[in-house]
Amino acid sequence: MSNLKVNIAGVEFKNPVITASGTFGFGKEYGEFYPLSALGGICTKGLTLKKREGNPPPRVAETYGGMLNSVGLQNPGIEHYLAEDDKRLAKEDVVVIANIAGSTLEDYIAIAERINDSHADMVELNISCPNVKQGGMAFGVLPKNVEEVTRAVKNVCRKPVITKLSPNVSCIADNARAAESGGADAVSLINTLSGMAVNYRTRRPVLANNNGGLSGPCVKPVALKMVWECYNAVKIPIIGLGGITCYTDVLEFMICGARAVQVGTANFSDPTAAYDIAKDLEKYVEENDVDINDLVGTLILN
Amino acid sequence: MKDRQAIVVKNTRVADEIWSMTLRFDDLDEIKGAQFLDIKLPDRSKILRRPFCICDFDAAEKTVEVCYAVVGGGTKVLTEAKEGDKLNVLLPLGNGYSPKGKKIMLIGGGMGAAVLPAVVTANPDKEFYAYIGFANAGKVVLEKQLADNCTNVTVATDDGSYGKKGFVTTVAREAYDAIQPDEIFVCGPEVMYRAIKKTFEGVKTPVYVSLEQRMGCGIGACLVCNCKVKRADGEGYVRVCKDGPVFLLDEVVL
Repeated sequence: MSNLKVNIAGVEFKNPVITASGTFGFGKEYGEFYPLSALGGICTKGLTLKKREGNPPPRVAETYGGMLNSVGLQNPGIEHYLAEDDKRLAKEDVVVIANIAGSTLEDYIAIAERINDSHADMVELNISCPNVKQGGMAFGVLPKNVEEVTRAVKNVCRKPVITKLSPNVSCIADNARAAESGGADAVSLINTLSGMAVNYRTRRPVLANNNGGLSGPCVKPVALKMVWECYNAVKIPIIGLGGITCYTDVLEFMICGARAVQVGTANFSDPTAAYDIAKDLEKYVEENDVDINDLVGTLILN
Repeated sequence: MKDRQAIVVKNTRVADEIWSMTLRFDDLDEIKGAQFLDIKLPDRSKILRRPFCICDFDAAEKTVEVCYAVVGGGTKVLTEAKEGDKLNVLLPLGNGYSPKGKKIMLIGGGMGAAVLPAVVTANPDKEFYAYIGFANAGKVVLEKQLADNCTNVTVATDDGSYGKKGFVTTVAREAYDAIQPDEIFVCGPEVMYRAIKKTFEGVKTPVYVSLEQRMGCGIGACLVCNCKVKRADGEGYVRVCKDGPVFLLDEVVL
C-alpha cells in the first residue's frame, strides 16, 4: 500500500520533505505561496541566544549550478522567536524543527534549555555553520567535539535532537558515529561546503566575508555519497540534504539511506519547490504503490 | 504575489549594452512604482533568479517592461529570449514608492533611470520633474518615455556628449531651488547616493532612494540582500527585497 509518512525519533512526518534551515526563514514568507501543512516539516533559521546581525553584504554569490552564502547566522534571537514565531508555527499542521547554534558549549546548553519552552517538535543542532568564526563549525569538525556538544544538549533538552553534520571534515561517518554516541536521535547532512568565488577584475572574493558555504544542485553527488557512508555507520535515522531540486532527487537520497530530506537552495529558484516536490512524491508513491520507507538504504553497489 | 508564467512580447537592444523586454501576463496585481520582479533564467546552471526593477507597466494590457543592462552571464542569457518564449516571473516584489506630496523630483543615474517610468505611470495625479544621467550619449535611454508624462525631463551625460554636461546630481541640485519639490526620489549606484547626501546637504525635502543588493530568494526569507540602516532603535540590517528596496536616504548607512 502506498505510504509517504515517515517517522524520525518518534515524530511523525506526513511526508519526508522538510525545508532546510536558513532557506525558509520562519515560514512566514513561503506561507504566502502555499499552506505549510503540505510539507512534512520545516526547519527554522538558525537561532542563537542573543540576536545576531550576521556578516556584511554581499552575502551571496552564484556559482555554476549552485551558490555561496555568507549570511553568518543572522537571526532575531531565541527570545524573539519564542515571543513572535513559535505560537504562529504551532498552529500550522507541520513538524517544526528549531535549528539552534552557539559559540560555546554553555551557549548550546542555555539555548537548548530555552527551546524546551517552545512548541517545536524537534531540535536541530547546528554545529556546522561555516560562516561564523566562533562556534558552529568549531564543534562540528572533531568527532570528540561533536559527541561532547550533542551529549551536553541531550542532557538538558526534552525534545528529540538532530545533529547537523558538516561535510568539511576528514570522515563524516566518524562524526555521525560520534553524534550517535553523544545520544543524538538523528543526524542531518550535509551542511554547506566551504568555498570561495573570485572576481578576476578586482582580484577580490565576491563575498564580503571572503568565504562562504556552497549549496545547490552542484553539491548533490557529494551529499549522496556522504549519506550512504553515514547510513553504513549509524543506526539512528538520517535526514539527507544537498542540492535537492525534484522528487527523483529525494528518491536518490532515500535509496542512499536517508529517512527524510531537506530542501534548501531550491526554494530560492522556485518559491514553491518544496511544495512541488512533496506533491510529486505523493504522485510517485500512489502510481507505483510503494511505501516510501521501503526505499531507505536500498542502494545496490556495483 | 505569486509566481507567474509570462510571455515575452518584445526583447530588443535599445542602447549600448542596454535591452528592453516586455512581458505579458494572464493576470497582473496592482503595481506600485519602484517595485521589482524576479525572473527565473532558462539556463539551469544559473540557479538564482535575477531581480530587475519594473521599468514600466500597462495595467490594461497586463504587460510589464524591464529595461536591463547586459552586465554578466545572467543578463546575457536574457537577451536570447525570443518573442513568444515563456518565462517564470515573481512579481510585484518590494515595498515600492508611493509619493505623498504633489510635486516630485525624480533623479536616475545610469540603469537607475529604469525605475522612474513606473513611478510616473503608477501616480498619474502627481507632477514629476525627472533628471536622468548617463555616462555618454550611447547609454541614454527612457528620455522619451518619461517626457510623455513628466512636467519636465532633463538629461545629463558625464562627458557632455548629450544633454547637459556633468553629473545628474549636480544638475538636479541646480534646478532644485526653482522647482521646490515636496519629495525627491533617487535611483542609481551607491556612489550617487553619497553624492546626493553631499550636494543636497541642508535640504529639508525628504529624499527616498531605491537600493540594490545581490539577492537570493527575493521574498524576504534568506537574508542575503541586507543593507544597513540607522533608525530610532539603533543600527541594523534590513532586507532590501522585503523591507525595501525604497528607504529614506537619511536612514541608509552608506
